[in-house]
Amino acid sequence: MRRLNQYARAFGRRELTLAGASVVAIIVFATTSPYFATADNLATVLRNSTELLLVSLGMTLLLAMGSIDVSVGMVLGLAAIAVGRLLQAEIDPLLAALAGPLAGAALGLITGLVVVFANIPAIVATLGLLGVYRAAIFLALGGGWLSGLPTGLTTLLSSKLAGIPVAALVVAGAYGAVWAALRRTPYGPHLLAIGQSEDAARLAGITVRRTRVATFVLSGVLSGLAATFYVGTYRNVEMTIGSTLALDAIAAVVLGGTSILGGRCSLLGTALGVLLLRLLQNGLLMSGVPSLWQTVVTGVLLLTVLGLERVGSFMPSVRRAGRSV
Amino acid sequence: MTPPLLVAEGISKRFGALTALTGINLEVRAGEVLALLGDNGAGKSTFVKVLAGAHPATDGTLRMDGVPVAFSSPQDAANAGIATIYQELALSENLSIAENVFLGRELVWQVAGVPFLRRRAMQERVADLLHELDAHISDPDAPVGSLSGGQRQAVAICRALNLNARLIIMDEPTAALAVAETRKVLQLIRRLSGRGCAVVLISHNLSDVFEVADRMVVFRRGRKVAERTRAGTDHEEVVSLITGAHPDVRALEQQQS
Ligand SMILES: Nc1ncnc2c1ncn2[C@@H]1O[C@H](COP(=O)(O)OP(=O)(O)OP(=O)(O)O)[C@@H](O)[C@H]1O
Ligand SMILES: [Mg+2]
Repeated sequence: MRRLNQYARAFGRRELTLAGASVVAIIVFATTSPYFATADNLATVLRNSTELLLVSLGMTLLLAMGSIDVSVGMVLGLAAIAVGRLLQAEIDPLLAALAGPLAGAALGLITGLVVVFANIPAIVATLGLLGVYRAAIFLALGGGWLSGLPTGLTTLLSSKLAGIPVAALVVAGAYGAVWAALRRTPYGPHLLAIGQSEDAARLAGITVRRTRVATFVLSGVLSGLAATFYVGTYRNVEMTIGSTLALDAIAAVVLGGTSILGGRCSLLGTALGVLLLRLLQNGLLMSGVPSLWQTVVTGVLLLTVLGLERVGSFMPSVRRAGRSV
Repeated sequence: MTPPLLVAEGISKRFGALTALTGINLEVRAGEVLALLGDNGAGKSTFVKVLAGAHPATDGTLRMDGVPVAFSSPQDAANAGIATIYQELALSENLSIAENVFLGRELVWQVAGVPFLRRRAMQERVADLLHELDAHISDPDAPVGSLSGGQRQAVAICRALNLNARLIIMDEPTAALAVAETRKVLQLIRRLSGRGCAVVLISHNLSDVFEVADRMVVFRRGRKVAERTRAGTDHEEVVSLITGAHPDVRALEQQQS
């Protein structure tokens, strides 16, 4: 029992565990593929993490609030179409870039209003919206792809400021801003209080509905921002865009130690969860495992973490681990 | 003479066909501890929920400082200075003590329209309140999830005081507490009344009640059947009032039926 408790406590230090797991993954994959542990490939992993880092940041807030959004991939898809169409119309790339978060905000508002005012459990409401948004993507693309988009946005996003890639600056800026909102403004305690108990939060005088809708909007903005980077990188928008994104994001966030039941979150954990997930996916691909297995691995990882947390929640040392932001 | 802090006149409450309260008249004065007693289902919780704005009364009026008031939400009641400490405590376990005390009423300073928390000021205020209540909690930054039941009561009371409550309602605050913790909560109640804050206390534990209450009101089947000062009664009489064995209660109930 004491042994079990020790493991549980070590598991409570989630961020350390994740960093350790990433190192182990790198070592293991280095032996299975000669190309894995190269600077080029690891840079690719980081580059490929940009969109998921942004989407998962929003998902962290939603889960911490006791909510969820399984339609984030479709939000990214629709915002990507908006960006792509503007690029096709030869509009200034900077304006096209801003169209991503703007479209994301609008879709986040719709999602938030549906979840909060129709008073439907978020998982069901966003599942319904997923179907609607997917149909909208299909209609907008007319069965084809947006491809060979102009390079203006790509040039803009692959530039560097003071030697740092724009993507890194934007991701760091987004995490920094959300961290500040959680730790330095009333938004943080309000979000966690809602995640813990909506009724108690309402009794305390928190404007629960407004906070919940605002969080969906924020998550939409982050997914839309991810869409901008997606279009900048791939210069096309395909029909299946974003189809595994929600699963990846939820897995990364839960892996990072944010409670699926709400009330607790870790931004650092989310970032590390994303990196570990992307490392595993890349490593498997490099080792010649068919890409179909990627979603299997993600799904199993998610279920394993949730299962372990279930066991852990019977242990007071884990429950009291408290919150970190 | 100043009017009582709170006066309830003819308060009735029906839930559909069920009558939970019938014509309750009652006064609460500033700085007194008033105990509500009665058997299970007598209507005590329902009555304090009316006071707290959680249920609207079907009939009757409430006056605060002599002025009629109508509460449509606990928020309304809180703004008028009535705070409730719920039977199921409504604290957020993952938030710190200070965050819980100020939840929904955070102290902030605005920078370009963005409200930033004044953490230091809130911590200091909470540390002062905890000290004043002699609550034996040293760190306002500790998560509430790590506190004992009695300490949580202290946090809930701090929260009420911080909202300038003049009447604090406690529904069975000691029901889930061990002996030592119960003693601390009773001390807290005395200290509250010492500060001029009125306390309405519901408890099934008569020795607790006799220790802190200035006055006692007994409910039976939704009616107020007796009112006593602590000096004017004893354990035995109160028990007979609650069970209905007391001649006064019998007479009253015969007259009603
Ligand atoms: N929301 C409600 N809807 C319908 N009936 C209710 C509701 N709340 C209370 N009642 C009924 O009103 C009556 C009084 O209940 P109340 O909870 O006020 O009793 P109490 O004196 O607090 O009892 P206890 O000592 O067991 O807490 C009971 O018959 C109860 O079933
Ligand atoms: Mg009760």
